[in-house]
Amino acid sequence: MSAAPNRPADRYPPASESGDSDSRDEEDWSDAEEEDDEEETLEVISLLDDRVFPDVMSMLAHCKEKHGFDFLGVRQRLQLDFHGCVKLVNFIRQRVHEGLSVTEDISWSDIDHEQYLKPVLDDDAVILGLFDLPELKPAVQGSNGNGDNAALVDDLLKRNSELQEELARVKTQFDSYRVAVQQTLDERWGDVDQAEAESSAAAKAGKGKENGEKKEDDSQYYWDSYAGVDIHETMLKDAVRTDAYRDFIYNNKHLFAGKTVLDIGCGTGILSMFCARAGAAKVIAVDASAIITKAQENIFHNNLSSIITCVRGRIEDVALPVDEVDIIVSEWMGYCLLFEAMLPSVLFARDRYLKPDGLLVPSHANIWLAPVSDPQYVADNITFWRDVYGFDMRAMQAGIYDEARVLTWPASSAPADPNSTIPAAPSAFKLLDLYQVQTSDLSFTAPFATTLARDIDALDGYLIWFDMFFSPTRNSAQSAVELASTAEAWAAADPQNRVAFTTGPHGRETHWKQGLLLCKPKAEEANNASTSKVGGEIKGEISFSIPEDHARGLIIKVAWNGNRSQTWSLR
Amino acid sequence: MADKMDVEAAEQQLKSMAHSEQHYFNSYNHHGIHEEMLKDEVRTRSYMNAIVQNKHLFKDKVVLDVGCGTAILSMFAVKAGAKHVIGVDMSTIIFKAREIVKVNGMEDKITLIQGKMEEIELPFPKVDIIISEWMGYFLLYESMLDTVLYARDKYLEKDGLIFPDKATIFACGIEDGEYKDEKIGFWDNVYGFDYTPLKETALAEPLVDTVEIKAAVTDPAAVLTLDLYTCTTADLTFSIPFKLTSRRDDFIHALVAWFDIDFTACHKPVRFSTGPHTKYTHWKQTVFYLDQVLTVQQGEEINFNLDVKPNDKNRRDLDIKIDYHLETQDATRQAQGSCQYKMC
Repeated sequence: MSAAPNRPADRYPPASESGDSDSRDEEDWSDAEEEDDEEETLEVISLLDDRVFPDVMSMLAHCKEKHGFDFLGVRQRLQLDFHGCVKLVNFIRQRVHEGLSVTEDISWSDIDHEQYLKPVLDDDAVILGLFDLPELKPAVQGSNGNGDNAALVDDLLKRNSELQEELARVKTQFDSYRVAVQQTLDERWGDVDQAEAESSAAAKAGKGKENGEKKEDDSQYYWDSYAGVDIHETMLKDAVRTDAYRDFIYNNKHLFAGKTVLDIGCGTGILSMFCARAGAAKVIAVDASAIITKAQENIFHNNLSSIITCVRGRIEDVALPVDEVDIIVSEWMGYCLLFEAMLPSVLFARDRYLKPDGLLVPSHANIWLAPVSDPQYVADNITFWRDVYGFDMRAMQAGIYDEARVLTWPASSAPADPNSTIPAAPSAFKLLDLYQVQTSDLSFTAPFATTLARDIDALDGYLIWFDMFFSPTRNSAQSAVELASTAEAWAAADPQNRVAFTTGPHGRETHWKQGLLLCKPKAEEANNASTSKVGGEIKGEISFSIPEDHARGLIIKVAWNGNRSQTWSLR
Repeated sequence: MADKMDVEAAEQQLKSMAHSEQHYFNSYNHHGIHEEMLKDEVRTRSYMNAIVQNKHLFKDKVVLDVGCGTAILSMFAVKAGAKHVIGVDMSTIIFKAREIVKVNGMEDKITLIQGKMEEIELPFPKVDIIISEWMGYFLLYESMLDTVLYARDKYLEKDGLIFPDKATIFACGIEDGEYKDEKIGFWDNVYGFDYTPLKETALAEPLVDTVEIKAAVTDPAAVLTLDLYTCTTADLTFSIPFKLTSRRDDFIHALVAWFDIDFTACHKPVRFSTGPHTKYTHWKQTVFYLDQVLTVQQGEEINFNLDVKPNDKNRRDLDIKIDYHLETQDATRQAQGSCQYKMC
């Protein structure tokens, strides 16, 4: 049999040879078989119609051309050996015989039946011609023997399906890398586009840009600022912050088990991975910054790709793979809580995606103010400019009463202590219940009041910080976070499930530090008993608002003791 | 009023620049950085001494202050007897400088020009002295040296002076296991997760930080000396081999680099260093973690090569490559490698 001549596939058969005779005319078949010896041309009946060909290859070429059925392709895909091919041939013939259609998407399970080893056509020339087919890529020896050959075939088939599974796995992994690479490339191209846009804008004489466009630029810069590793290192190493999320998520695994979680501003993916480890069924991690490619790699390396899906873009713009989520987790807090204005995105997602009984993590925040009086700080940072190497550089002071400073204020001794830098109890002025709050509530005016516990020379400024609360329930009676709740006391009431932290000067340092609002000195105030002596009251109103020209900035205004008022900006 | 318009015009100009440039100049608009620089006593006092103690050099001279900032150097020059000082700065800090010059009664002696050196026109065709504090981290990162060299070629009299006129980059090997672990090893396990994708990025970022002198395992070596009278911008791209000799048996985790600055024109030469052996400066030192840990014995020499070039895309960023080769009889300690860094 192996001596049978190889015929080039492109040599087309004369179509007239058997005319319109019935392909299932068995006599024709027997005759042909009996009369032809090895060197003679067999009459090969087409698998899909009744045309007859001198050899298998030309018949297959016909099937491919005329019927779009690629026998060799199916053979290659299913890695069919000789017996496999026999089964395939008989499977096709059987279907044709029954008047059923034959398509290329035949699977191994379709044809893997003993019955297909039995020829549908006796002495089928196609089967005899199978030996002439070009070899499969991984050569399979299927010509000798029958009994142990079947075992070999089974082995090979088993191995084959194992390899295919592995291939599928590798494909999935590769896909996740491909996405990462694609995003990196997109970002590169994006950079180029942006640079081009900028240079063309410059070429247009850089006339005043439209407001909207400017705000978008601000945003781009904001996202860019999160693309580096440094800022994420700072945030991850802020143990107060990261521990709080970890503790809440891991201590409340029952809340996360089987749930769908949305992580807004996922950064390196740490919170998403906490949720996945806590048993979440699905986590969607969204971030507009390029850091998300690192998140993707991190998630992959930690074998959590099947649970966590990364989506790059603004939460307001992206299409999520789900319609609603059970939990939204986000670390959205900025300096003085509201700088950077990421909370509106979380509120958007709350209204758009959170189920009615869904959970927000964290759930509440409150903002605090405390008066400060610290002559040493004033000497080092304000008086300094009056004599710099013999020169008056007072001009450099100009902004200090207009700009909020972000710094770590050292913990103060008790307010009554003569050396305390915070001479009065802090006052909470704003509570944000994240289930209720609206974006419009983020610009507000609120009262504050506190009483001096010692005499001071001057009120040098106000310090601003916030506390964060993670409640395991959205029932507000059970959460019981109030305007003046402190993180410490609130968490202590239910240490099992509640988590809270403060960014105040009395707590462990966080990367949010505190905001310092320096007050202009007022000479006449020093001897005013009501404002600088023990028992004197400092009270007034504080407002937060968003500057028109910088959507992610913050303006803080304090009006106090009747006639004093100052405005600071954070940008 | 005119001033206010100037400020607006300047801000407009900044807005029309490429993003990276804008960021560079804007970062100098904030007070914090000027406060930090002025409070850097090693820096400011060295310039003060170099200028004020050399009245014989400054008397009746025309001086150009490149990147004048708050104009402190310009005012030193006036104190030293300069006929006139021109201060140039792109940043809007120059409007503060104007106020400062005015309250110090020097506005008739100092002309402050806001703009890029390459684009502005000076009121004098030539200057006798150029003063500038142009140095960046690792000497060359975000440095203004190219601007100083431009000003030199265009404006400096043939026998003119430059303050400072010499800069040298030094390097030595340090033992820094604990901190390397904290900075680099951190990414191996972040709250129980594998964060190694961020490790390569962390390794590729040189760290600007202070290094204790006791961490130094090798003697320092001068790698590059720039003579400001003769060097060109081409010299700011270089590849230089150097050797470090181990002082003791120890490990080398990183290379630390710093620079010294000389004012050789002074009657009594003024020099300051930003190295780990001397007083703190805001430049600190620059640490380059190696991918391997070198195990060295006293007296052994390690071969290094430092390759520095400005980034193609953003010339204020630096692409840095460090090759190392420790050749010893002990095959287990043999080490060779090449590390790529980017300062941006």
